[in-house]
Amino acid sequence: MMTSQELASYFRESLCIFDLKAASKREALAEMVDVVCSEHDIKDRGLILEMLLNRESLGSTAIGKGVAFPHGRTLAVRDLSIAFARSVRGVDFDSTDKKPTHAFFLIIAPPQDRDNVYLQVLGRVVDLIKDDASRDRVVGASGYAELKTIIEGQGL
Amino acid sequence: MIRDAEDAKTAAKMQEMGFPMDGIAEIKKARTELTEHIKPQLLNRYQRVSQNYERIVVPVVKDLCTGCFAKVATSFRYEKNSVVTCESCGRILYFT
Repeated sequence: MMTSQELASYFRESLCIFDLKAASKREALAEMVDVVCSEHDIKDRGLILEMLLNRESLGSTAIGKGVAFPHGRTLAVRDLSIAFARSVRGVDFDSTDKKPTHAFFLIIAPPQDRDNVYLQVLGRVVDLIKDDASRDRVVGASGYAELKTIIEGQGL
Repeated sequence: MIRDAEDAKTAAKMQEMGFPMDGIAEIKKARTELTEHIKPQLLNRYQRVSQNYERIVVPVVKDLCTGCFAKVATSFRYEKNSVVTCESCGRILYFT
């Protein structure tokens, strides 16, 4: 099972946005995709965005309590990548509880993933957020160091 | 995405995590619309390879096709805007 340290290693400061400007689902995804593309020097920005929007049409990844987990696989990335974003005012992300979404964990992975790390990572992040105290801390995190401490200390 | 959604184990895991997975028809419709923009010859090639392998499009890593691990000629990567297939297994290749 993936340890908290291993999970935390996927979070990079350059892939975290603590003042998301977006006002819509599309804008929120685009803002997060931009940081991923910039970090990994990816040119197929549109491809990733389209994939994520298609994934949203499969069913919203905002599973309530102010958190969303947009995710999917794409040939555009070589390795699994996580972007975190926080919106103070919240975004209408078609959440299952109809409430605004404040924290986003964008997880994208290549199709070739023999150990299914993608599902493991997604599962661990969802577990983290299911804990009310951890979720509140994540949503309230104002910087990378604080976020990483929360993830490393989840003790799952 | 469709493969994940149709894989019983993956879909069950996703639903256990709380993700609704009921829009598969929408995704399939989007894929059908996309295939209309692909050259028939290329689409046929894709469909032919899909009969033999789960992953049809694979990356080339260290000059190896990651589907069958056959060596890929380095000259291939310079063929801009062309679709390159593995001479050994026929999978469609991309270079990262």
